[in-house]
Amino acid sequence: MDIEYQALWPVIIVAITSIVVLLQAAITRRHAVALGLTIVGLIAAFIAVIGVGPLLPQSVGVLLVMDGFAQFFMGLIIAAAIVTAVLGYAYLRRRNEQREEFYIVLLLATLGSMVLTAASHFVTFFLGLEILSVSLYVMIAYLTEELAALEAGVKYLILAAASSAFLLFGMALIYAEFGTMQFGPLADALAAAEDLSTPIVLVATALMLVGIGFKLAIVPFHVWTPDVYTGAPAPVTAFVASVSKSAVFALLLRYFFVTDGYQFDTVMIALAVIAIASMLIGNILALIQENVKRILAYSSIAHLGYMLVAFIAGGDRALEAVAYYLIVYSLAVLGSFGIISLISPEGRERMSLEDFRGLFWQRPRLAIIFTILLLSLAGIPVTAGFVGKFYLVLAGVAAAHWVLVVVLAIASLIGIYYYFRIMAVMYARRDTPAASTPTVSLSGATLLGLLAAATIYLGVYPDQLLLLIRRLVLTL
Amino acid sequence: MSEYLFWIPLLPLLGFLINGLLLGKLPRPVVSAVACVSVGLSFVLSLLLFFELRSLPPAAREIEQVLFTWIAAGSFHVDIAFLLDPLSAVMILVVTGVGFLIHVYSTGYMHHDKDFGRYFAYLNLFTFSMLTLVLANNFLLMFVGWEGVGLCSYLLIGFWFHKKSASDAGKKAFIVNRIGDFGFLLGMFIIFWQVGSLEFKTVMEQAPAMFVAGGGLITAACLLLFVGATGKSAQIPLYVWLPDAMEGPTPVSALIHAATMVTAGVYMIARSSVLYMMAPDALMVVAIIGAATAFFAATIGLAQNDIKRVLAYSTVSQLGYMFLACGVAAFGAGIFHLMTHAFFKALLFLAAGSVIHAMSEKQDMREMGGLKKYLPITYMTMLIATLAIAGIPGLSGFFSKDEILWKAFSSQHGHWLLWLVGFITAGLTAFYMFRLIYMTFHGKERMDEHTRSHIHESPRSMTVPLMALAVLSVIGGYIGMPHIFGVTNYFEEWLAPVVHGPGHQAASHALAAAGADTSMEWALMAASVILVIIAIFVARHFYNKKPEAATAMAEKMSGMKTLLANKYYVDEFYGATVVRPIVNGSLFLWKFVDVVIIDGTINGLAVISRDISEVLRYVQGGKVRNYATVFVAGVIVLVAYFIFG
Repeated sequence: MDIEYQALWPVIIVAITSIVVLLQAAITRRHAVALGLTIVGLIAAFIAVIGVGPLLPQSVGVLLVMDGFAQFFMGLIIAAAIVTAVLGYAYLRRRNEQREEFYIVLLLATLGSMVLTAASHFVTFFLGLEILSVSLYVMIAYLTEELAALEAGVKYLILAAASSAFLLFGMALIYAEFGTMQFGPLADALAAAEDLSTPIVLVATALMLVGIGFKLAIVPFHVWTPDVYTGAPAPVTAFVASVSKSAVFALLLRYFFVTDGYQFDTVMIALAVIAIASMLIGNILALIQENVKRILAYSSIAHLGYMLVAFIAGGDRALEAVAYYLIVYSLAVLGSFGIISLISPEGRERMSLEDFRGLFWQRPRLAIIFTILLLSLAGIPVTAGFVGKFYLVLAGVAAAHWVLVVVLAIASLIGIYYYFRIMAVMYARRDTPAASTPTVSLSGATLLGLLAAATIYLGVYPDQLLLLIRRLVLTL
Repeated sequence: MSEYLFWIPLLPLLGFLINGLLLGKLPRPVVSAVACVSVGLSFVLSLLLFFELRSLPPAAREIEQVLFTWIAAGSFHVDIAFLLDPLSAVMILVVTGVGFLIHVYSTGYMHHDKDFGRYFAYLNLFTFSMLTLVLANNFLLMFVGWEGVGLCSYLLIGFWFHKKSASDAGKKAFIVNRIGDFGFLLGMFIIFWQVGSLEFKTVMEQAPAMFVAGGGLITAACLLLFVGATGKSAQIPLYVWLPDAMEGPTPVSALIHAATMVTAGVYMIARSSVLYMMAPDALMVVAIIGAATAFFAATIGLAQNDIKRVLAYSTVSQLGYMFLACGVAAFGAGIFHLMTHAFFKALLFLAAGSVIHAMSEKQDMREMGGLKKYLPITYMTMLIATLAIAGIPGLSGFFSKDEILWKAFSSQHGHWLLWLVGFITAGLTAFYMFRLIYMTFHGKERMDEHTRSHIHESPRSMTVPLMALAVLSVIGGYIGMPHIFGVTNYFEEWLAPVVHGPGHQAASHALAAAGADTSMEWALMAASVILVIIAIFVARHFYNKKPEAATAMAEKMSGMKTLLANKYYVDEFYGATVVRPIVNGSLFLWKFVDVVIIDGTINGLAVISRDISEVLRYVQGGKVRNYATVFVAGVIVLVAYFIFG
């Protein structure tokens, strides 16, 4: 095999795994086997991600480029997919559904996300995004007996399709103007162009921002988030919040750094406004929600706004900060939605604040894990979230973007309130005896414990991860 | 020895981990032993390190221990590192010393509480955070401790969370402190931006070169840090949370809301004295806010009937004194008062706890009276603390308060008006404190029979800490006597390498040495002593000799009294101007923007083109069309902006 394609081993392994799981489901329906194959495949892919290191950086045709940057984000995505698979197993085990197909679409969604992180061409950009989106429609609406899940799936489908249309149109306009769809040559064309503020270029950029903004769920393209987060099965929400966003953010970083999107002042101002609006609206709306999934949905809008603050600052600091924060954020949201998956019995999910009342007195370990994750989301010291947010702020301060930094500070202070609200409820004693909670899957609980431990570890010793980020991500 | 520095915060952390992880599994004696011993060992270690520090020459008194690099970005790095210098040495001695006594006291006070283990776990966690705060060698680690003590404070205020008032109070403390933290963070960012470091040593060394003295930037940074201090240390306008924080168990009020955490703001400003000396305008603000808070809180204290609330307002007022000292660049005096205040205020709270304990959890002084004969130890120790806080010569509070008043008058950053406010406040302090003593311990016994039959002096575990603190309240001031007594002010000398006043120390040395005219200082000192004694007699007249006179007086001034008893309606004011608008704003965004505007637009359109909408209704249910509308509106705005903007 060509060295070019050897670099693609991680992607190929995930693709093969999805076919293997498909065949397995066709022959014999065994939930545990499907999970086992998925995990084995994902772990193999993860090993491959590390293994291809010496071959990098390596362009694969004009479509993909495997480099340290892609390696880093693929690692993140695969790890998050493993967590999702384990959570999904614990979740689906209690439900009357065809379970095996879940892993097929999960693997495909992972595949799409991985393609996104290595895309260097509009074709792979769009392909990756569509593989991801189409798989997500299925995953979100996976519980066919749940009306809310179906509704969420359809909503996501309609809006995602619309956003794809805008994105595609933007790409077409760029192609019409510059005659290339490859990031590298596009950068040269942009550099050579005399006037960048022609209507076509501007409209194209705006439309592409719409497409990306939708996936990142930033204001004003955020409206789908609360419904989809609430309606989708909790493990899927975890996936949407972590993997899908990390992959798209990785693509955004690559696109902007390669084609120097920072040269468009208009774009940067628009992004700054979007960041401010996302931070404030996300946090303020989260204040009054009574549903934990909705709180986390609105808070995810705000977190993407925080990351935009560093992104707008640009330079190595931005890359470092965003990469670090994506890890921190993924840990926290995977864990948080994981908690919801684990404590939900058959049927309706436990997701209203009241469902969490007194959780500490029933399931102290889960409550402590959730507390650590929430503290991290709130950015309280000694958790990874604090260090991560501090890096975001450092990037903003170093670039002297004071308005953004001030809004970030205000927004996170507002945010702390609703995270503490969830915690307060968990530690309160119930007046009435709680409804019986299902036995918590041991593997799921162990996994969440690891996520919480990693959150603390990264809050105290962030150094190792940062060195890794510097080695890999800064290759961009 | 110095390599053991990190054990000082670590020991209480270990205590927390043991008690926290084995919650509910350890017997009570083990829980209290773990908690007390960890803090006690920490105190012993602090003492040993203090003596080691003292053995060094003054200029070299600095022990730094870098554990590891925490956050690094380019040339910038923040370490997990502890710094022991004269300033932090004073702080750790206060925190571990007073903290240890309060831990011991708590073993008696919380004896009946079913959440014994949780209480001590929080208390140890608090001690750990506080020690991190004062030992940090950089602003960021200090902020970690700052947040940590805040967290423990909410946990402990809301400790009895089944009481609604308790959880509300925790919430209030939480929200108010967010505003303060916001200031702290921004101030820190400005420093980082300008100096490129957050390490105290580097910042203080480089600040003169990096900032324009008296310039806008340094003033802004100092004011923002001060906003942080007003939140944590309960100063105007952010003091409202502290009186409500009295919902927590009384030893917590003594430890967190009197002796240690609330003084963190004073410590932070003393730590940043170099910065403040470069920003005279910020100093002036600190002084004015401090003086105003001292006076304002003291007046509220005059009309409170809850024994703990009197002490709470008294704490706010005394913290005001400390800020007044910092504001006139007498940082050493501020820290001195911080220390003596830690002794006598902790004692006052613990004694009040002993009273409440005896009174079957009643806190209203109108239902007390005549407790002197039932609670002799509590009475004696509380009286000593009251004499100390009132500023009776010979006790600790006298020396520290007098130094502040003199500096407020004489410092080049001072003003006679600041002195006057402090002076009047001293009178008010003596009055409300003796009002408390007379209402509680003297006069008629006003409690009901049932309560009376249960009154008992507290157990040894509670009275021994009271006596220890009483000794400290008496002798604690002698290390910082004024120069006009013809002695050395050891405290000022000790702190001199760290806190940088305007050479006032050199000046007063010179003054004393030259035998210059000290009559002014003597005169002011005499005036305040006389005022205090008058105030005590007035309190005695109203609340001991002729209680009916107090009632008559109160009736005559009922308007004033209502105003004071209701704390000037500040809570209501904040409720109406700050809290409601935020809640309404959030509801507005949600209800109005999401529901009315978005849905309304759609509905409006639907009315206009009902047929189309009818068709659409079959095509898609739910609100996805609304979402799409928002989405498309976003696209249009974005594209329009890109083209025309």
